[in-house]
Amino acid sequence: MNRLRIFLIIAFRNLIQARRRTLLLSVAIAAVTMLLVLLMSLSQGVNDNLIRSATTLSAGHVNVSGFFKATIGDAAPILDDRATIRTIVEQNTPGLDYVIDRQRGWVSAITPSGALQTGLAGIDIDDELHFPRVVQLALESAYREGGQDVVLGDVNKLREPNTAVIFEGQARRLGVTVGDAITFRSQTYRGITNTVDATVVAVARDIGLLSNFTIFVPKQTVLELYQLSDKTTGGVLIYLKDIKKAEETMGHLRQVFEERGYDLMDHQPEPFFAKFNSVAGEDWTGQKIDMTTWEDEVSFLTWILTALDTISFFLITILAIIIAIGIMNTMWISVRERTRELGTVRAMGMTRRDVLLLFMLEATMLGAFASLVGGLFGAALASAISAATIPIPLEAVRAILLSDTLHLAVNIQHLVLSILAMTLVTGLSALWPSSRAARLQPVQAMQNT
Amino acid sequence: MKPIVELRQVSKEYPLGKLVVNALRDVEMTIATGEFTTIAGPSGSGKTTLLNLLGCIDVPTRGTVLVDGQSTSDLDDRALTHLRLHKLGFIFQSFNLISVLTLFQNVEFPLLLQGGMTKAERTQRVLEMVERVDLTPQLTQRPNELSGGQRQRVAIARALVTRPRIVLADEPTANLDSATGQTIIELMKEINQSDQTTFLFSTHDPRVMERADRVILLKDGRIASLGVESEASDSSGQGAELGNV
Ligand SMILES: Nc1ncnc2c1ncn2[C@@H]1O[C@H](COP(=O)(O)OP(=O)(O)OP(=O)(O)O)[C@@H](O)[C@H]1O
Ligand SMILES: [Mg+2]
Repeated sequence: MNRLRIFLIIAFRNLIQARRRTLLLSVAIAAVTMLLVLLMSLSQGVNDNLIRSATTLSAGHVNVSGFFKATIGDAAPILDDRATIRTIVEQNTPGLDYVIDRQRGWVSAITPSGALQTGLAGIDIDDELHFPRVVQLALESAYREGGQDVVLGDVNKLREPNTAVIFEGQARRLGVTVGDAITFRSQTYRGITNTVDATVVAVARDIGLLSNFTIFVPKQTVLELYQLSDKTTGGVLIYLKDIKKAEETMGHLRQVFEERGYDLMDHQPEPFFAKFNSVAGEDWTGQKIDMTTWEDEVSFLTWILTALDTISFFLITILAIIIAIGIMNTMWISVRERTRELGTVRAMGMTRRDVLLLFMLEATMLGAFASLVGGLFGAALASAISAATIPIPLEAVRAILLSDTLHLAVNIQHLVLSILAMTLVTGLSALWPSSRAARLQPVQAMQNT
Repeated sequence: MKPIVELRQVSKEYPLGKLVVNALRDVEMTIATGEFTTIAGPSGSGKTTLLNLLGCIDVPTRGTVLVDGQSTSDLDDRALTHLRLHKLGFIFQSFNLISVLTLFQNVEFPLLLQGGMTKAERTQRVLEMVERVDLTPQLTQRPNELSGGQRQRVAIARALVTRPRIVLADEPTANLDSATGQTIIELMKEINQSDQTTFLFSTHDPRVMERADRVILLKDGRIASLGVESEASDSSGQGAELGNV
């Protein structure tokens, strides 16, 4: 213990003595750690955005939906007996927060000045807990040429029939503002083309890429468009107290439904609209339940996270290698400079193991200190950037980062991990020069006077 | 007296390209406990090589070096390190203190390597040693704040703090002016006489040689003269003779 203390003193004072070298390495290590923390915060931020936009716009943490096939060639994304399915879910979901159900459609939205393809979410605004809380309305100037810097409309107007809440990107493309009408056109499941008109009652700020593909309307509008009874549902959305339990809960509910005699589709981690073709090709008729997690519903977006993480990984790896080479080089110089001192302590009876320990302590101390400073600085910077709500100027970047402001989320676990990882990199880089130092023969060391 | 060091037919060869340098040839000698012996000889005669073998930081090419009864050729690096830590003390020509440690910490260092002492015991031992080399006022100073003579006195305290059987010193006065060198040798001699610690040191300086009980003279890696064993001899004549080397 006392020995370790004096080794720490020697290591520390040697670092202080080699001021320039220590400072240079510290700055490099701290910078890379900071970058690592920033990149991880960005990734976490995008992940947050993804969860937020997915669970607001298109999915619950766990979803019970399904397909109805009147003939083999059909595939209607509806389930019969909404009330029973809801009750089963409400009674059999551990850790349940709340349940909602929605109607779904895929329509052309048409106005005199534009048209677009979009999903339709038929909701009961009084049933929705998440949506009205998360959605923020946009200033009129954000979506309309010559618009005012005021928020128009109200999400709660969705209580009235044939209304619609759209997003600012959609408002620009359709050239509408609050109070204007949109025509939704689609085919009913009986193959008849049908249209419904709705009035825009609010324009919300975009929540990433997904908001281009969702328009909120009252359930009744969807039912009318598709000529469906209100006994059907497009999906039951389950929100849990802990989103991490989604996978597990889905497995449990599959069993529950199977036990009650429902037919279930094999789990496919894809959103419902990606399943039309394959379901239409299957040779069964009637109804099957399809269960998904929120991640399945946005699986077409997770490439963003994968890409981001991959780029980060390579960037950090390259920088870490550069750092490692720098550390090896510096340590090597240090070993050479201290050959005489090493010979002296070896002659005095210091073991090889202790020489190794001494050098490793020095490097690890430097690594721990520098990466701690860099990590904390990175975390502070990430928080500051996020708090500053810096708007992202490019549409494409906004779409990819799933947010219109730069959102970085510091995750304590990631922070600790980054600091430990960089300390480890420093320590491992020092291993080779340190073991060379430990293998020096005392005679060789002494001759070097 | 009981021999503390014995050399039997010891040769040391260094490879030098295709050649072989015979640094020591068939050296036979015995050092008894408590001796105060100097190893003299012209440059390149093998003094450092001999001290390295005795100090267990090198092993002979042929022959046997016995330190406190143990043959160093039979020991591995771990065992040699252990032997150095517990039985030997070193004083170096350029002092070789640890520059980042204070005087106190430098002297305490070998005790920490040994382990097994309480802080109080260590502190007492260190203070005692520092008092003996008369550096108590400089306890918290770093080596670069001390003069050469003071540094060598710290080195002596450091070499002696573990109470070694033998203290080895390769030209301990070579980097000091002759007056300071004299006082350093006096200090070593005084400790030798009061504690019966065996001292073996090499030197070029005839006035330092004069202070030794015995002078072993090397020439071309061979023993030219073994001096008088185990007795404080009248070596003034010999010293004068060596002064011309
Ligand atoms: N590592 C080595 N490799 C090759 N030759 C060596 C090595 N070390 C010493 N020698 C040679 O061995 C011989 C004895 O050297 P040594 O250093 O023991 O002499 P010395 O008496 O200490 O000399 P000095 O008084 O100059 O210190 C010399 O010829 C020297 O050149
Ligand atoms: Mg020499």
